[in-house]
Amino acid sequence: MNKVVILVAGVAITLALVIILATGLGKDPQHIESPLIGKPAPDFALQAVGTHETVDLSRFRGKPLVVNFWATWCRPCYEEHPVLVSNAQLLQGQVQFLGVVFQDKEEKIQGFLNERGSAYPTLVDQAGKTAIAYGVGGVPETFFLNKDGKVVAKFEGPIDPDTLQQNIRKAMTQ
Amino acid sequence: MIPSLGRLLVLLSLLVSTIGAVLGYAAGWKQSPDGLKWARRFAFAFAALMAAATFVMEYALITHDFSVGYVEHVGSRDVPLWVTIVSLWSSLEGSILFWGFILGIYIAAATWLTRNEHLDYMAYAIGTWLFSGAFFSYLIAAPASPFQTVANPPLDGPGPNPLLQNHVLMAIHPPFLYLGYVGMTIPFGFATAALMRGRLGQAFLRPLRNSLMVPWIFLTIAIMLGGWWAYEVLGWGGYWAWDPVENASLLPWLTATAALHSALVMERRGSLKGWTVTLVQASFLLTILGTFMTRSGVFNSVHSFTQSPIGPTILVFLTVVLIGSVLLLAFRIDSLESDSRFEGPLSREGFFLINNLLFVLFTFTVLIGTVFPLIVEALRGKQMSVGRPYFDSMVVPIGAVLLFILGVGPALPWGRATKEQAKKALLPPLIGAAIVAAIGFTFGVRNAWTLVTLAFGGYAAQVTLGQMWLPVIQRIRRGDNAGAAIIDSQLKRGRRRFGSYLIHAGAVIVIVAIAVSSTMRTQQEVPLRKGESATVNGLTFKFLGTEERTEPHRTSTLALFDISKGGGPPFAHLAPRMNQYAAMRDPLGTPDVHTTIGGDIYLSIMNLQGDSVVVNVILTPMVGWIWWAVLLMGFGGIVALIPFSPPRGEKVPLRQDSGQAPADEGSVRIEGREAVTS
Amino acid sequence: MSTTNVSFRVSSLRQGIPQPSFASLRRLGMTLAVILATTVIAQDIKVPDAEQLVGAAQGQPVSGALLDQRTNETAGLLRCPVCQGMSIADSPSEMAVNMKHQVRELIARGYTQEQILRYFERSYGQFVLLKPKFQGVNTLVWILPIIALAVGIWAIFAMMGRSPAPAPPSLADDDDPYLAEVRKLTGKQS
Repeated sequence: MNKVVILVAGVAITLALVIILATGLGKDPQHIESPLIGKPAPDFALQAVGTHETVDLSRFRGKPLVVNFWATWCRPCYEEHPVLVSNAQLLQGQVQFLGVVFQDKEEKIQGFLNERGSAYPTLVDQAGKTAIAYGVGGVPETFFLNKDGKVVAKFEGPIDPDTLQQNIRKAMTQ
Repeated sequence: MIPSLGRLLVLLSLLVSTIGAVLGYAAGWKQSPDGLKWARRFAFAFAALMAAATFVMEYALITHDFSVGYVEHVGSRDVPLWVTIVSLWSSLEGSILFWGFILGIYIAAATWLTRNEHLDYMAYAIGTWLFSGAFFSYLIAAPASPFQTVANPPLDGPGPNPLLQNHVLMAIHPPFLYLGYVGMTIPFGFATAALMRGRLGQAFLRPLRNSLMVPWIFLTIAIMLGGWWAYEVLGWGGYWAWDPVENASLLPWLTATAALHSALVMERRGSLKGWTVTLVQASFLLTILGTFMTRSGVFNSVHSFTQSPIGPTILVFLTVVLIGSVLLLAFRIDSLESDSRFEGPLSREGFFLINNLLFVLFTFTVLIGTVFPLIVEALRGKQMSVGRPYFDSMVVPIGAVLLFILGVGPALPWGRATKEQAKKALLPPLIGAAIVAAIGFTFGVRNAWTLVTLAFGGYAAQVTLGQMWLPVIQRIRRGDNAGAAIIDSQLKRGRRRFGSYLIHAGAVIVIVAIAVSSTMRTQQEVPLRKGESATVNGLTFKFLGTEERTEPHRTSTLALFDISKGGGPPFAHLAPRMNQYAAMRDPLGTPDVHTTIGGDIYLSIMNLQGDSVVVNVILTPMVGWIWWAVLLMGFGGIVALIPFSPPRGEKVPLRQDSGQAPADEGSVRIEGREAVTS
Repeated sequence: MSTTNVSFRVSSLRQGIPQPSFASLRRLGMTLAVILATTVIAQDIKVPDAEQLVGAAQGQPVSGALLDQRTNETAGLLRCPVCQGMSIADSPSEMAVNMKHQVRELIARGYTQEQILRYFERSYGQFVLLKPKFQGVNTLVWILPIIALAVGIWAIFAMMGRSPAPAPPSLADDDDPYLAEVRKLTGKQS
């Protein structure tokens, strides 16, 4: 244990520790990167609320797609719903919107949609497997797919108009 | 009015602590007694100002003065008074003010108790303490100010986080934690001062040891309270999740424990000085790291305060103190280590060294595991997790070896032991090992690690009890009256020794109880309708129905259960509940626990709808032992700490080894060497 | 009496009474057609399944108490994505419960722990694995403590090797000054 060893070891440990901690600053520890970005979106065919029609994801190839996972027991979902509905109506024909409801009762979903409007199919996720396949950690989460069915972006939390449009542009161009 | 008063007090404390720090270092450098006197005055002034600021904040909280920023943030008229009082530390800004308050108390106490001693380096110590005080005053004054003025004060506020209102431990755990954490500043000041003076003799040991022991006791109990609180409140039935902030509280505890042991070798043998000083420095540095981890928003943790801009500031302070400590240690190392006489591995000193290394390894492992996700994200941009399975696999072997050392170390004599001595000391406790392992086996323990832990625990228990009562036995053999022997040996002269062995006894129980409670646990989800019963492990749980309870700040729905065994009458009644707080959207569950000596019966609600409940039944053996054994450790620490002064006219002048300095404070005899104020 | 692990929260394949539609007549007609063909259409639902993502089950189907035990074991290795560091075995959040049920189903079907972990890693990334994989840069977290241990052991031997000064006056068995005094008084050695 002599002077040089202590100095070198001490300074090395200090620098290493401080640099590592500093890199963590400014990042959101709750945010999880999605490994699906850049990969084909997992395929599914689920029942739509109300019509009970089976809607297959592959049906929407050729157009950018916004897939929004939500539930009636999720408060922030109430906030983002009008944003999604209005944008869906605006972009009808250019971009397809889909809602996937997770762990919920059909009556409640139907009631929610009746009350707050609906502009696109809302599908019921059987046993939550679709959510798991997409790596959904909580609701709401929104996925953006391009016309070839590849995932280009994922957003966690209630979405606002600007972010929504930003990501749609990404889906259209990538 | 109050916000301005608070800000003024904080600014004054920043001024006073800065001047005091500079004064302290200057007085130490110049060896000026007047400078020291003034540094002391500034130290007391700092303490007074911090206390005043804290009282002003409490006053604002209790009178619901919503013009104060912090009160607007956490105050509420609907919560009980005790919640209002403890909301001082429920959120970030208030908690730093609380840190400053505790720091002031410690500095004042340390300055007062050393008023006639260590005149040559006290100034440096005070300077160091006030340097830390200045930093925290700065935090309270600027980036994390609780005394902001609110332009249009609301009529009511949201109250503190409901998770913090669920249990009375909210009033006890944080103060204990702060008393433990903040207290590490004091021995750091002593160590820094001694290094600066280039003197690490025996005179320095007593204040170092005492100032290390006091926060150690608080921190030990605080960590246990944290675990107990998580257990009672969170509903998953566990007490330790290796959460980054939990780890942050454990790291300084590990180094402080190692430092206490290392200081013992320093006292008896004069060696391991570099180790001791480094460990003391590390204990303080780790508390600053811990504060960074909790408040910077860098770590994903249950305990994290909301993201705030004080992260970078704390990091800068940490860097400065870290570099300063490294430089100081490097340039003074020559005046420390010179007489490392190690008689070989089969000696008590050898085992102390191994002990040090194990604690450092433990600390390193927990630290690496906690920051590793950050490292990977910095290097590879990918996110990964290091969770419970990792820590459990790493820590269990280390813990087992530590338990082994706890048994073998105290059994060995100081100095080189002959084969005969070693055999005489090390073989008999094997009986204890066999007995405890056998008891475990009969109770159903089959896990290999648990059985090993039980064996080591039995070994250590026998050694500890043997050593604890050795002086009493010797005195009885001489012919002393048993009662007098006990009182004198354990409660008077031998208090430090007795206290230390009490701590060890507690530690053995804790480690064994952790091993058993983790591996012998049963957990099952049970769905029941009103009136139905289910059986788990021979215990019958009957769901009686629900009950509503309304309080001003929350509404609770209780699920009532009767527990019986076999076909007998119910012997316990549990009522886990779901609480709906006015301030929160989703309900929060609270479990209910029935504790017996054998283990706990723990119920928490997973789902409650009308007359149907899904309840989580968790049966954990021996978990209650952990809390009580840690309290035993704390009690042992207090016993060891109380100084002993011999009554007047004492016929046999026994050496004072329990910490009280006689009038000529510098002379403490160590085995043939008489060192006077070195 | 045995206990089951079915949580009331799992939404099962519930058809229920078809809801009357609110919009156009066209919709009403379609609904009637759907009611008639409900069972046929229900068969067309496909959800992304483990089989597509990690292949067929490589182990034996499991049930009963062993199923509970294995589920808890594997669930303890998976991180709840929204909680702060908890495993899905301990977390009460909806997603965690959902994932736990999926784990249970896969174990019952005979999937091995390794397959199940890979299945979740595919959609959530390495973030979801509480035990770091021994691969790539992650190996460091397992190896560094071992290296530290090795350095420590070397340090002990290095320090033991150094015995420059003569041993202090023999103290045979003396572990405490107080004890030494007591021995002196009693005149005994033990």
